[in-house]
Amino acid sequence: MPLVIFVDDSETALASTRMVTNSMPIEVKQYTQAQVALAEIQGGMTPDLIITDLNMPVMNGFEFLQGLREVDATKRTPCLMLTTETKAELKQKGKALGLTGWIVKPFNPAQLKQAITRVLRLPA
Amino acid sequence: MVILNSVDELLKHIKEVQLDVITLSNDSLLKMSDFIEKNSIEIDEDLSTALQYQDIITQQLNATIEAIDSMQQSMQRFNHAYISDENLANESMSKLQEKLRITLEEAKEKKDRFSGKTADNSAETDEIEFF
Repeated sequence: MPLVIFVDDSETALASTRMVTNSMPIEVKQYTQAQVALAEIQGGMTPDLIITDLNMPVMNGFEFLQGLREVDATKRTPCLMLTTETKAELKQKGKALGLTGWIVKPFNPAQLKQAITRVLRLPA
Repeated sequence: MVILNSVDELLKHIKEVQLDVITLSNDSLLKMSDFIEKNSIEIDEDLSTALQYQDIITQQLNATIEAIDSMQQSMQRFNHAYISDENLANESMSKLQEKLRITLEEAKEKKDRFSGKTADNSAETDEIEFF
């Protein structure tokens, strides 16, 4: 099963995403600290999709994304930003860093499922 | 300045209440999501949105706590200048007013940033955007 990792400093936000992904044919790992997720990726974990929040203490979503792109195994791994932020300049920055897409919270569960299905090319 | 000490105490109290509210709403949401997961209840869009509001509430309250911290620091600096030299008081008061104005502007900007689809821009943010 494809591995999807979620990074959000809010446990409640992670719980909300878990309720959506529970019924999907994917393996899910969740992290409340981007630096911990990045360390595991640097240590050899190879996710098929990464979904991360932007505003987080210690390491924000952009810093996390930059770190991911420095690891050979995740140079091109699809990455979606899941955030309350809507500013066009932030989206542009994400795009320049190699972000795959932008999802604004609160997300629509059906749309999040669709996005994961589309990026991972799962059967609809 | 005695009045600033009272304001500082009031801000401290507001901050404590906000932190309690964050903790309670967080606990409440986690208990609900545990129940939903344990009972394999499928959530619809409305329930999912309602659950996600907690995250937005936490971000909004944290942003106002940061604004309060900033106000307290500015007031402490003013108080220090006022105590050490009363002649500096007028100048310090102007600086304090400016700092409080900036703090308010930043807090309002964060309110918009952390609102997500609950803000007036919901029509623009309804779809997932792929690059």
